[in-house]
Amino acid sequence: MDMSQYKALFLSEAREYLKTINETVVALEQSPSDRPAIDALFRGAHSLKGMAASMDYLLVVEIAHSMEDLMIRVREGELSFEPGVADLLLEGSELIEGLLNDVEQDLQQRPTGDLPARLAAYPPRPAGTQRQGAKPPAPSPAVPEAEPAREQAAEAKTVRVNTELLDHLINLTGELITNKHRLLNIGRELESAPLNEAVSENGKLLRALHDEVMKVRLMPFDAICGSFQRSVRSLARKQGKELHFELEGREIGLDRGILEQLVDPLNHILRNAVDHGMETSEEREACGKPAKGAVRLSVCKDRDRVLITVSDDGRGMDPERMIASAIGKGLLTPEEAETLTPRQALMLTCLPGFSTAKEVTDISGRGVGMDAVATSIQKLGGTLTIDSEPGKGSSFTLKLPMTIAIIHVLLVQCGRFKSAVPVTAVQRTFELRRDQVQTVGKRQVFRLDEEEVPLLSLNRILGLPLGRFPDGIVPLFLTEAKGRRVGIVVDRLLGQHELFIKPLGRPLGKLPGVAGGATLGDGEIVTVLELADLL
Amino acid sequence: MSTTVMIVDDSLFMRKMLRDILEEEGYQIAAEASDGEEAVARYKEFRPDLTTLDIVMPNKTGIEALQEIMAFDPAARVVMCSAIGQESLTTAATQAGAKAFILKPFNPELVAQVLKEAEG
Repeated sequence: MDMSQYKALFLSEAREYLKTINETVVALEQSPSDRPAIDALFRGAHSLKGMAASMDYLLVVEIAHSMEDLMIRVREGELSFEPGVADLLLEGSELIEGLLNDVEQDLQQRPTGDLPARLAAYPPRPAGTQRQGAKPPAPSPAVPEAEPAREQAAEAKTVRVNTELLDHLINLTGELITNKHRLLNIGRELESAPLNEAVSENGKLLRALHDEVMKVRLMPFDAICGSFQRSVRSLARKQGKELHFELEGREIGLDRGILEQLVDPLNHILRNAVDHGMETSEEREACGKPAKGAVRLSVCKDRDRVLITVSDDGRGMDPERMIASAIGKGLLTPEEAETLTPRQALMLTCLPGFSTAKEVTDISGRGVGMDAVATSIQKLGGTLTIDSEPGKGSSFTLKLPMTIAIIHVLLVQCGRFKSAVPVTAVQRTFELRRDQVQTVGKRQVFRLDEEEVPLLSLNRILGLPLGRFPDGIVPLFLTEAKGRRVGIVVDRLLGQHELFIKPLGRPLGKLPGVAGGATLGDGEIVTVLELADLL
Repeated sequence: MSTTVMIVDDSLFMRKMLRDILEEEGYQIAAEASDGEEAVARYKEFRPDLTTLDIVMPNKTGIEALQEIMAFDPAARVVMCSAIGQESLTTAATQAGAKAFILKPFNPELVAQVLKEAEG
């Protein structure tokens, strides 16, 4: 029998079982004697074993079989579902996931090491009398299995589509939208009401088409959750900290491209929360908090954006201490420090070289990383905000677009060139009178809400001749760089547009500060600027 | 008319494999079910000539489903699918009226042979 025809089905169903196993392990940690969950775990390992045996993937069979045996011992009441059991099962699930990846890519299967032996020999040292002899009674009498039917996901009506085809569809939709702008221009010139009406109706349909096509690229946030659970748990265990890890909003969809880029930043923030944010149980009890801390990762929708929040109820961050530390490290002058709001002070953590941890650990490092986190979020067109209350905990909120290819931009003119800046990076636009621009030292600034905002010229950044502002008005937009507001002066603000962004090929794609190119309705080409790289 | 079969297994992958093997042998797949409860309901609906029943399943195990199917139709011809290492369960299944057993992983020739015998 030719088994290769079943490989794709095997892989997708095996991964679903792994997901169920991971979720069930975490659920069981909260309520270790939940009989239906214990049964479900046993069944998951058992089914995986049977499937892998049919495909002749013997290493997967070996691991799944040892996991099944361990669960049988839990089910019979020989073992309780303790943290050591949970750890081993998650480790097994991770190893199987790796083996599945090897199978998928036709790689040589990775070694399974001593995991099967450790699963079989659990608990590591014979814990007294309870091995072979009299079994303690089962935690509850064997009740008939009954649990909500939620394991039928495998049968969802799905079609597998090559991602290249998807991108092609998105490309075509983008071209159609660009063409709509061309038609709008013609309609305006012809002053034809019926044409304008038809074009505008067409525009609505295109918008709907675009939304649907973009949805195809959406994947549930859940797709990247597995690694978070593992890293938070193992880090907490390693540091002897007790905590709950809660995940909320796994079902929310994000563009797969964005999801991929989120794994490292979120892992970093989560590890920081456990490593720096969370106190030990003794410290917590001494401040009158519950011994067990809580770390939450929640995802929710906010119109066309997605909010991802990592919060903890740990020790929090103290803006004053952060300012002092930044001054001590020469990252900030005392004068600059005085202009910082508490929220801006918290953003200091995103400066390269900043850390307030009492000691450097090998886990979240020396504050390297938060700057990289902030930059990668900005690159995705998102923003990062930090809230914290000393003694109560901190929260890091990422606000991200759900999709990427079509974005709203602010179009600006600098010299002969038009450039586009994603509106997600623009806080406001201003047209200042010349006398509102002040010179402080060597810098030009303007006052905004009691704050001196430095001004930079986009012409200068791009190496173009400086603007002259003949009518005495200085146009600029406000953006944020490294946690501080900056005004970017341009020759003219041309307004907001909807652009379909395409990556630039080689060698232009390598240029720092350029995120891509786009065509305007009149055929003119503009570059989309990546402010994070330019400032 | 060809013999009708209902396939019961919680794994889509397993059902697909078994379906391919059985269709190759000329059986007509009347229905599929993915848990014990669904198996009982579908049996009553389709009355297949043969049923293959996995043992480890959610919402009623294969053994429980077997008991209910036999209570509903004492002439039912049910073949249990079990993995190596579940021999202890075969006694219970035989007592409950199972006609035969097939072992996972499936060997197409053996499966065909066992089903032929179970047809009686």
